[in-house]
Amino acid sequence: MTKRTFSTVALACLVFSMILAALVPAVRVSAQDACPTAKDSYTIGFANLTEDIVFTQLVREGLVSTAEAMGNVELVLADNRLDGATALANTENFITQGVDAIIHFQTDEAFGNVIMARARAAGVPVFAIDIPMPGATFFGADNYYAGELAGAALAEWVNANWDGAADAMLVLELPQSGPIPAARMQGMVEAFQANATTPIADEMVFRLDSKNTQEEAFRVVSDTLPAIPEDARIVAVTINDGTALGTIAALEAAGRGENSMVVGQNADPSGQEEMIKENSRYLGATGYFPENYGAQLLPRVIDVLECRPVPPSIYVEHVFISAENVCEYYPDNWPEFCAQ
Amino acid sequence: MTSSDAVSVGAPRRPRFTDDRLTTLSLIAVFVALCLFFGTQTPFFFSSANLDTITSTLAIVGITAIGMTLVLITGGVDLSVGSVAALSGVVTSLLWLKGGLPLGLSAVLGVGAGGLVGLINGGIVTYLKINPLITTLATFSIVRGLAFVLSEGQTNLLSNEAFNFIGRGSIGGVPFSLLLMIALYLAFLFILRYTQFGRNLYAIGGSPQASRLAGIPVSRHLLTVYVISALLASLSGIINVSQLASSAPRAAVGLEFTVITAVVLGGTSLSGGKGTLIGTIMGVIILRTLDNGLVLMQVSSFFQDVARGLVLILAVGFDQIRLKLSRIQRRRA
Repeated sequence: MTKRTFSTVALACLVFSMILAALVPAVRVSAQDACPTAKDSYTIGFANLTEDIVFTQLVREGLVSTAEAMGNVELVLADNRLDGATALANTENFITQGVDAIIHFQTDEAFGNVIMARARAAGVPVFAIDIPMPGATFFGADNYYAGELAGAALAEWVNANWDGAADAMLVLELPQSGPIPAARMQGMVEAFQANATTPIADEMVFRLDSKNTQEEAFRVVSDTLPAIPEDARIVAVTINDGTALGTIAALEAAGRGENSMVVGQNADPSGQEEMIKENSRYLGATGYFPENYGAQLLPRVIDVLECRPVPPSIYVEHVFISAENVCEYYPDNWPEFCAQ
Repeated sequence: MTSSDAVSVGAPRRPRFTDDRLTTLSLIAVFVALCLFFGTQTPFFFSSANLDTITSTLAIVGITAIGMTLVLITGGVDLSVGSVAALSGVVTSLLWLKGGLPLGLSAVLGVGAGGLVGLINGGIVTYLKINPLITTLATFSIVRGLAFVLSEGQTNLLSNEAFNFIGRGSIGGVPFSLLLMIALYLAFLFILRYTQFGRNLYAIGGSPQASRLAGIPVSRHLLTVYVISALLASLSGIINVSQLASSAPRAAVGLEFTVITAVVLGGTSLSGGKGTLIGTIMGVIILRTLDNGLVLMQVSSFFQDVARGLVLILAVGFDQIRLKLSRIQRRRA
């Protein structure tokens, strides 16, 4: 290459670089024009369902640790205290603080419309965890499927241990919380009836309101047991681990422990501890892995803010957790049990 | 026994049917009517298994109701009992599981922690002169929060056969928790009827100022009553933990309202100075029977809530009617 040719190529490269350098901001500006919410860093409001239960604490911890790992996300935290009006007040606080997006975990369906109207007016996208709100991107449990997993596992156990026939079913539900937990219960009952060799007669299926507490589950199960023959084999499907613990306590207190088996939902640490006990009557529970919600959800929030397509509903993975596989998913929780 | 029974020495001969006796008789009539109704509606109501169920689940509300009766007799109220019951369970489980203390000692310290709340309640009511409703509403919230802080919101399992006997065991076919409750009722019946302390409580509820002038140590009595209420609520918390074989900071939510309903239903006046433990235990049994019968009949839980609410309104309504009637009787006398 001659000296002249080299100089010409170098000059051309320099000019090209300068043109490129001049163009890049224009390209960036045009990208921001196309996606006005895209920024270098984001402030995201997260209002938790309540801070009083382990499940939601794990959701919050997962979001906080993911935000820290991402580096460009600052979380503003609030507590909805299981109350729609508080959720609405939190929404307004988030908007006042200028958040880029809101993640809501709130229980009151009636407030969903109002919350979404406020957020829409402010141009703030909303993600709804586990309880849908109109216009929000849904993230959380596939409740019917989660129910099916537990119901099918219970039927499988009955088929293997009781010749496929149980005599009565206790359904510990939460009617006041609307269709979401109802879908979970429906999944459990239908999957059991479809998979058990002999389905349970309708008149022996007892639907009981657990009111989401151990004591209430204990009370209503205790009150129902006199209506079930003493030697009957009883299965119970429950809305969560706490309700399952209350149900098992009532069955054991009435001397019916040996002839019963229970499944639930969530698989939180107290449920795991119960299922790994010797001769436990807790077969297992469908896991929701709330600790992983943050890692799955926050990147999707950023996708929305950076105008990348996100499906309207994002479901978490569910697995039926029992004593047989708890060590696979939660080895650190039960080191002694898992070492055996 | 009423305040007038307690303080009027040399009063005219008692009428054959006193206000309290009428209350007890009407409560027995209500109970019999409930039993007959449920007995005709569901064949399981009169089964021995159902009798076991009812008797083995009376103690938590029943024992807490003793303390509440004493507090209401003095003209106060204790809204913190549910939170105190939760706290005692949480403290017991933490001391045993994480503190490494023996379970019995942990339970005693758990009850003691509840007693401390009673001391605080009583101290604020008597020495700071803050209304009992406000005071115990505040401790209701503080103590529940404390239970959550201590337990980090976690449910702890307590599987121990000896400990579980408190809530689930029986002696000669009678639930141990029921025996414990009966013993406490007998003890406090004696205290209310036959001790100066018991009689003074009625006097304080009737008129704190007159009681002070009569030389009754009102503050000390009130302090003692709030401590007793908290200790009994704590004991209920321990029975609850033993029955469920686990402790949770959300335990005993709403216990205060169930207990107040039972006590008022039993004839204890919200205005103070009036009430009996016989009435209270009848109120506890009626509420428990109502809950049990409605579940056995598979009535929707929403209607069960309506029924409990109606019972509360009826109870308070009867209380007001009784007050008016006794005022009329006093005027005539």
